Amino acid sequence: MQNFDLTVKIGKIVLQNPVIVSSGTFGFGGEFEDFFDLNHLGAIIPKGISLEPRKGNPPPRIFETEGGILNSIGLQNPGYKEFIQKKLPYYKGLKTHLIINFFGNTEREYIELARRFESLPGISGLEMNISCPNIKRCGIAFGTDPRMAYRLVRAVRKATTLTLIAKLSPNVTDIALMAKSVEEGGADAVSLVNTFRAMAVNIHTKRPELGNVIGGLSGPAIKPIAVRMVWEVSQAISLPVIGMGGIMNAEDAIEFILVGASAIQIGTANLINPRTGIEVIQGIRKYLAQNKINRIQKLVGAFG
Amino acid sequence: MPLQTDGTVTENRRIKSLYFALGIYCPSIADRIKPGQFVMLKVSDDNSPLLRRPFSVYKSYPEAHPEKRKRGHLFILYKEVGKGTRKMTSLRKGQKVDLIGPLGNGFTPPPLPSSASSILIGGGMGIVSLYPLVEAFDTGGLFVFIGGKAEDDVMCVEDFRKFSSDIFIATEDGSLGFQGTVVDLFLSQKKRFKGEGKYYLYACGPVAMLKAVAGVVEIKKFVSQASLEARMGCGFGACWGCVVKTNHPKTPYQRVCENGPVFPLENIAWE
Repeated sequence: MQNFDLTVKIGKIVLQNPVIVSSGTFGFGGEFEDFFDLNHLGAIIPKGISLEPRKGNPPPRIFETEGGILNSIGLQNPGYKEFIQKKLPYYKGLKTHLIINFFGNTEREYIELARRFESLPGISGLEMNISCPNIKRCGIAFGTDPRMAYRLVRAVRKATTLTLIAKLSPNVTDIALMAKSVEEGGADAVSLVNTFRAMAVNIHTKRPELGNVIGGLSGPAIKPIAVRMVWEVSQAISLPVIGMGGIMNAEDAIEFILVGASAIQIGTANLINPRTGIEVIQGIRKYLAQNKINRIQKLVGAFG
Repeated sequence: MPLQTDGTVTENRRIKSLYFALGIYCPSIADRIKPGQFVMLKVSDDNSPLLRRPFSVYKSYPEAHPEKRKRGHLFILYKEVGKGTRKMTSLRKGQKVDLIGPLGNGFTPPPLPSSASSILIGGGMGIVSLYPLVEAFDTGGLFVFIGGKAEDDVMCVEDFRKFSSDIFIATEDGSLGFQGTVVDLFLSQKKRFKGEGKYYLYACGPVAMLKAVAGVVEIKKFVSQASLEARMGCGFGACWGCVVKTNHPKTPYQRVCENGPVFPLENIAWE
């Protein structure tokens, strides 16, 4: 088979291919090792980590809607200390890049975490979650106010030399404005979109379907909105864009790449077909062969 | 270690009213699945429904089983209740289905040699998950309590008769057996369990039923395990969508798929 150049560069990281598995949908990685060889992935982003452990939201935490999933996990995680003791050693055995998704309740917590991850071996980059819809104090203000986002990214930028990715919320009027703010703040890349704030009601019990009432919508239902947002952002900034939102297969991934995503993330699809990541890589390769394109980078933004 | 694999549908027939039996030839899972474990089934090729559905396995036969037609088969009982199970009713013999399994931690058998007795309490489809226990383990004396809303919802009675003559049936509308819930029925019979030694109790059913069981069994007398039902995202521990609140001091929300679905009954924090 012909050799295709699938490498892409995000900040200082050279990914062997543009396929990244998304935070919150890939556990800590080990949950997937029985299904395929994780070394094939461009990068792994484990579940988001906070300074202190988080218990998460009360159940029910998940509800299926038409073509989508509503979730309100609430960023349950074991916290920084347990993560580095019990989870981090696992990635030493992997060749793929490790990008840490993290978040704080305050600017100080973001800075503290960035500083701590900076000094650990084996971490290629950081993805700042400024956009989770499931916690009240954290993300919302940072993720929806361009000036707050700028300030936060600038502060975290000073605390780390690692490649810094800002994960953007789609729950804003102008996502390109948010992207410009984090670019000015010093981010190396942006990833988008996180889930859309959403809810569902059971008409028989007259109660919400989620314990937290409001959750985040993901899956194929959001894909067209996500594609539009990635397109708008990629036109507005000069940083690499990592696109996501309902990618189920290689065709979906290519759509995001065409509108300007240098790399893509697989989220919800991991839960349904745990082999989605590797199947998307294979599908991209096939598409390049059929279209006689030797480098994936030629596809980035080739739309229009 | 779960596998993602294709199985072949070998039968899909209506047992009664809204209840169906699905037979799948899938030796790689059938060879390894243990009582109380489950599989995640992709019930359609498209995104409707999007997520897989969890099913406990009712019967499974390894490749080495003496009866040729059963070899390598899994059987699932399901009730047509929503979009996913409605689509399942149209699965035809010979069709491929995508499965992940075996998943979760199964039941712990009673200690051997079993001089003690086992008690099974199943509400609705819950009884289906308890059936593999009696085929796989020496349960000692066996008492089976089966409940349902109405006669049609009482499952697996004939299967259990092969293993026990102490079968008690409750229906909420009184159309079969005792009128009331299966826990009411258990309470009415509880004086039977006054003997020395412990009883090994296995329960599966809706949360309200399990909570009621927890409220009537003494921890010292009844060693109780409950298999929980939950809405699941992935089924293999990745999404934290299916949690149940437990008494765990550090991590109260435990994953039903990965840490369960079987939990010691007293570990569940009922709300």
